Amino acid sequence: MNAENNRFPRTPYILLGLGAALFLFGSWWGLFLAPREQYMGDVQRIMYVHVPTAWNWMLAVIFAFVSAVMFLFTSNYKWDSRLEAGLEVSSLLAFLLCCQGSIWAKPTWGVWWDWDPRLTSVAVLLFAFVGIIALRNFVDDAARRAIWSSVATIIAAVDLPIVYFSVKWWNSLHQQPSSPKTVSSDFYIPLRVNAFAILFLMTGFIMLRARLASRRLANEVSTVPLMEAGETA
Amino acid sequence: MRGVVVGGWNYVIAAYSVTTAMLIVYAVSLFVRLTADRGPRTEDKG
Amino acid sequence: MRAALRKELLLQWRTRAQIMSVFVFGATSLLLFSFGVGPNSEVLRQFSAGFLWLGLLLSSTLTLAESFHAEMENRALEGLLLLPADPRALYYGKAIANWIQLSLLGTALVPVMVILYDAGTTRVLSLVGIIILGAAGLSAPGTLYAGMTAQVRAKQTLLPLLLFPLIVPALLASVKATSLVILGDPMQTLRSWLLLLASFDAIYWTLCGLLYPRVVED
Repeated sequence: MNAENNRFPRTPYILLGLGAALFLFGSWWGLFLAPREQYMGDVQRIMYVHVPTAWNWMLAVIFAFVSAVMFLFTSNYKWDSRLEAGLEVSSLLAFLLCCQGSIWAKPTWGVWWDWDPRLTSVAVLLFAFVGIIALRNFVDDAARRAIWSSVATIIAAVDLPIVYFSVKWWNSLHQQPSSPKTVSSDFYIPLRVNAFAILFLMTGFIMLRARLASRRLANEVSTVPLMEAGETA
Repeated sequence: MRGVVVGGWNYVIAAYSVTTAMLIVYAVSLFVRLTADRGPRTEDKG
Repeated sequence: MRAALRKELLLQWRTRAQIMSVFVFGATSLLLFSFGVGPNSEVLRQFSAGFLWLGLLLSSTLTLAESFHAEMENRALEGLLLLPADPRALYYGKAIANWIQLSLLGTALVPVMVILYDAGTTRVLSLVGIIILGAAGLSAPGTLYAGMTAQVRAKQTLLPLLLFPLIVPALLASVKATSLVILGDPMQTLRSWLLLLASFDAIYWTLCGLLYPRVVED
């Protein structure tokens, strides 16, 4: 993913348009064409947007983690911009996941929040990333901001599996929520279409957000060594 | 699984509208921030 | 590293009045938690482990934030970094000092918990062991984040904001292990919670030590 794509400034917009169209198509399929699920009834249709969001959230977190590691190794500020984009977009997706998850939990288990290990880890990482975004806003020095937020992102991302397993043990008397493996092939198409839809939307968002970040960096820093921030035009 | 969940279209509609609304809001906020950032920069150049 | 540790411990000893006030803060929060539940001694006993760890967690943000105070005061951190010492030694010195301090604080809060919540136990050694393990989980990332946020405005807000989500597994395991010790352990699950806590400690003591030199470099 080339975040500061100057040669192709329109790519993120094309991706966003494509993603929006696919999202409409996939959701229409999931809402009206896909058969009603045997046990969950119509509520199961939430999965056609929830599961793709979850997959892409995972990708966004990995993207942020890789950007943080790459920044620490290369000290190239384009990775800092990508990290900023990854943090913000994965927070957006995590927030969406929490909303969808509570809406799913209410009719299924009768409560808004079920302490499901996945949902809880998403929420924990959401808070961690929001904290890192706050840290970025409070640090004025660009070099420190980049290094510190990379370090914090690595620490938070390493925490994710630990949180997942600890919550799983902590709340072990819990049924597994339905996953795509337990649903028949009729349900695959809207799931996959929406997965690509949200992938395109997410990629477009990350590219635009990274562009914004590198612009701000270039505006903010006048010193020469930081000018590899991309976006020289 | 404790039996079939009946109805629940309200929840489905809520989930999809929340998702769509958030995605649109984020897209709009990105556009706004991108265009707002472009302003002072061109002034700098000129 | 031994020199760094000795420096930290000496510093803590000199500011023991501050440690005392942190203890009073922790004890006060334990008192206040019981007002959140009401005077039901059975329920209070049930929640006592959680309250102990929340009290320790809240107090820890005070001690951790203070641990870089001396360095920030006279820009002494830069001076320390000019020494031919490994910044890792500085980090581990500080982290171990914080660890000791938090373990003592947690141990000191236990009698308060026993009295207020009627949560006595005969397995004092295992309780202290859990507190030491849990304090290790708090102090490793806590020291690293304190090193960052000490140099930032709004540090009082940022440190808990960064630290609290991160230590969820350590908190979970400590609370669970403590309540198993207090309330009894019919399923024999204490060992696996201690294992989780120990692995959390091992991961973060290594990772934070690796990353700390990057945090203080300029």
